Amino acid sequence: MDILGNLAHGFSVALSFNNLLFALVGALIGTAIGVLPGIGPVATISLLLPITFGQPATTAIIMLAGIYYGAQYGGSTTAILLNLPGEISSVVTTLEGYKMARNGRAGAALATSALSSFFAGTVATIVVAGSGPLLTSVALSFGPADYFSLMLLGLIISAVLAQGSVIKSIGMVVFGVALGLVGTDVQTGQQRFTFGIPELSDGISFVALAMGMFGIAEIILNLEKPEARSVLKTEVGSLWLTREEFRRATPSTLRGTLVGTVLGILPGGGAALSSFGSYMMERKVSKNRHLFGSGAIEGVAGPEAANNAAAQTSFIPLLTLGIPANAVMALMVGALIIQGIQPGPRMVEAQPDLFWGLIASMWIGNVMLLIINLPMIGMWVKLLQVPYKFLYPAILVFCCIGAYSVNNNVFDVYSTVIFAVFGYMCNKLKLEPAPMLIGFVLGPMMEEHLRRAMLLSRGDVMVFIERPISASMLAIGAIALAAMLLPNLRKGKEAALSG
Amino acid sequence: MKINAKDVASGVLLILIAATGLWLNGDHSLGSARRMGPGYMPMLVFWAQMALGTIVLALAFFNGPDPLEKWTGLDASMLIISVIVGTAVGLAAPYISSFFESSYGSLGIGMLAGFLVLAYAAGWRLLAFICAAMCAFCLLLEKGGLMLALAVTIGIACLAEPEHRSRPLGVLGITIFLLAMCWWIFIKQLDIRVAVWPLQY
Amino acid sequence: MLPRRAWLAGGAVFAALPAIACAQGKSWPAQPIRLIVPFAPGGTTDLAARLVSQGLGDRLGQPVVVENRPGAGATLGAAQVAQAAPDGLTLIVSNIASHGIAPSLYRDLRYDPLRDFTHIALLIETPSVFVANQRFPPGDLGEVVRLSQEQPRGLDIASSGSGSSNHLLIVQFGQMTGARVNHVPYRGAGPAMTDGIADVVPMMSDSLPSAAGHLQAGAVRGMAVATAARHPAFSAVPTFRDQGVDLVSSSWFGISGPAGLPPAVAERLNREISTVLAEPGTQRRFAELGGLVRPLSPATYAEFIAGEVARWAPIVQASGARAD
Repeated sequence: MDILGNLAHGFSVALSFNNLLFALVGALIGTAIGVLPGIGPVATISLLLPITFGQPATTAIIMLAGIYYGAQYGGSTTAILLNLPGEISSVVTTLEGYKMARNGRAGAALATSALSSFFAGTVATIVVAGSGPLLTSVALSFGPADYFSLMLLGLIISAVLAQGSVIKSIGMVVFGVALGLVGTDVQTGQQRFTFGIPELSDGISFVALAMGMFGIAEIILNLEKPEARSVLKTEVGSLWLTREEFRRATPSTLRGTLVGTVLGILPGGGAALSSFGSYMMERKVSKNRHLFGSGAIEGVAGPEAANNAAAQTSFIPLLTLGIPANAVMALMVGALIIQGIQPGPRMVEAQPDLFWGLIASMWIGNVMLLIINLPMIGMWVKLLQVPYKFLYPAILVFCCIGAYSVNNNVFDVYSTVIFAVFGYMCNKLKLEPAPMLIGFVLGPMMEEHLRRAMLLSRGDVMVFIERPISASMLAIGAIALAAMLLPNLRKGKEAALSG
Repeated sequence: MKINAKDVASGVLLILIAATGLWLNGDHSLGSARRMGPGYMPMLVFWAQMALGTIVLALAFFNGPDPLEKWTGLDASMLIISVIVGTAVGLAAPYISSFFESSYGSLGIGMLAGFLVLAYAAGWRLLAFICAAMCAFCLLLEKGGLMLALAVTIGIACLAEPEHRSRPLGVLGITIFLLAMCWWIFIKQLDIRVAVWPLQY
Repeated sequence: MLPRRAWLAGGAVFAALPAIACAQGKSWPAQPIRLIVPFAPGGTTDLAARLVSQGLGDRLGQPVVVENRPGAGATLGAAQVAQAAPDGLTLIVSNIASHGIAPSLYRDLRYDPLRDFTHIALLIETPSVFVANQRFPPGDLGEVVRLSQEQPRGLDIASSGSGSSNHLLIVQFGQMTGARVNHVPYRGAGPAMTDGIADVVPMMSDSLPSAAGHLQAGAVRGMAVATAARHPAFSAVPTFRDQGVDLVSSSWFGISGPAGLPPAVAERLNREISTVLAEPGTQRRFAELGGLVRPLSPATYAEFIAGEVARWAPIVQASGARAD
């Protein structure tokens, strides 16, 4: 009952005209920048930060949160329409979403993305309101050894993203991990594989890697195949979901929400794992798993739900511990401190307006995004009807500006060129970029946790087996690996015998 | 023939990258299992990659056929020539003009020259023009400003599409439209920090 | 961005000459000023720079635009400004990482923290603090030292990263007290604090602004703060000196420009910055960030930086951290 009372209080705060207005402004800005490749919420929020100084703290944080969710929605749009992922969660969306768009179901993919995100956002908001403080203990019960095993499990299951050979995609995961190691070693500060280039000391830019291997490589491949472009032009299909599609997407959304809600709580990598964890699950559990790789709606609904749920629950460590889970959260902390509010365990009692107002506005923000995005689907699909010869120069210049603006450095644009060539080559060799990107994101975290766990256990590897969380992750990983490799090896053996 | 040429190439690629990585990793101390050095994880990763590459290569002899696309003699020779020209231009650039000394200018002009040479071969043309367009963007952005850089980028990118090559007026239209749109979005609305016109900074 | 001196010499740019001439004349600043923040948006440095840039822009009559150029431990942005034209239109937020520690940490740094800059004004200093998990038994530093010597492999202490001032403070503490320390580096203060609260690592070296909320909430316990006298907002936390360890250390940042900035411009900037810092609004916001405002003249700020460079060199050496 207390929660209901608090939530009611929260809604009374969030529904004030001013706060609603800023939630709307934030959601609009967020959607707009999410659509632009490379321009992420971090850069935008920092630009807008001075504007929020003059606002009350609650209003400021509501607007910034709106930008954050809006960017997530917008990011899925470009992933589906143009195969241009802006962050790791949209990499997964490209896998089925872009295929759906190529099949003329862009409208359905966008609608699915919006609806499952909204549903997941609603559930996750309730979770944050109801059991946020309780869930903090989950985050705190994960030690370095547990995180290492979680990341390892993530890497193993990421091989399942492969549309083709499992061994080849594990190879790409491992190469992704290797790319992730470029830069300054966290433990000693030594530079690794940087060739004396200062820009590489913070690692290869994710935006350059994703944009090159997906977006730019895709432009070149599309230009090579005039027949593929004509498909893009003609068949647009119905904008809305068919009854059949709706029926298929619903269970996936439910499962994705669950996965995302749980993983989002873990600071340091949980949110990154959520969307493809859900994709993996759908591919194993869904009734239509044979359709995966050719535009399965389950592969859009699940990951999109997981991603949005994780985006909401990743507020839990911030609100209850005052510890930001990612760069956007760090900016929020900064915004709060500027307002004279120390985020932390006392915030719930000390700033009830802010805490409950923010939670209520999370949900309101989701409603607004649905209202903004559903009518826009028609417009986005129209974009695909623009002849490709006019569309591709625009995508190219947006990518150039986007890559530059991440660090205000042309080096990132040159990196994008190099990865475009590499992505083109990988396509010709049927090597898949998605597992590589996941290895790239999870690999450095895995190394960090591995080394920290060993440092703290004084070199005793038993720590990975003695801790129950870690041990169960490793067991699941071993089973998953065996399940994936056995059919593959058997096939190889049969081929060898018959050949 | 059951040889899968794509997998053979993939396997070789993975092995080559892993071998290079292991060689470069020689600079980093391995440390102990307790206090792992900077080289420990790369060592594990590259050996794993080497092993996987070997498996891919071994399996490739049984799960084909899957041939690579045909290269013409021109494709192959232009690839070699473009690498040579690109490297030469990149190395020579700093001596020609101080313009190339900063912001990876010599890297950019080298890559640009290489890609433009490569565009002579029909098999590489699309890849080459798109990449060359992006290199031109980088070269011109900081000193030439956003508008000039974009105009040149769009010009080169349009060379990749045969329909544009015969209609320069259409390309001009696209350029003007995109310049206006980029100005409105990135300068007017987002106010990204970049020079807009030549010699602004 | 570009070594302007170099391309001036190349004769490429008559068009830029009026801008420079203008900058040296009475009408400075004739154009908007770029303030390079060598960190990603959102950190204490970035926030403080954005606070100051507003007030400064109002006073100078030209906008002061914050531009984030993060990377390589803040040295990328510093190298860029070191090469910029000394026209007073490109400034940097100089800080302990790029101008205090980097000269000892990076073997091939592309700038000299003193010769390549005109230092203008110090903005704020933020004290360092040791915090401990609530369940950590020792009550004072003496007990910490004893406990660390009893443990065969030393006591785990976390920091926000290898080569950071927080890390070096742990090294210095070990040197001064003989404590046996096992340094556990993290990627930033947030993850380190999480593990501190979760008792994965019992102690942590942090800067006061980032630890303040957790101290106030009682999530962690303040062991010692590295100020000369107790901090007014945290009077319950003893100083290192209170406990017999003569350790005073803080993180700092200020405003600098490229070498050869006209003295008049530097003086004017220093004056305006001091005025901005003295405003009650700025004072309040800076206090909320956990910093102490200390106005210094350009010459004293340069001396201060020289002192910092000299101070950190032997500690970096002893820490074993290096980046090359």
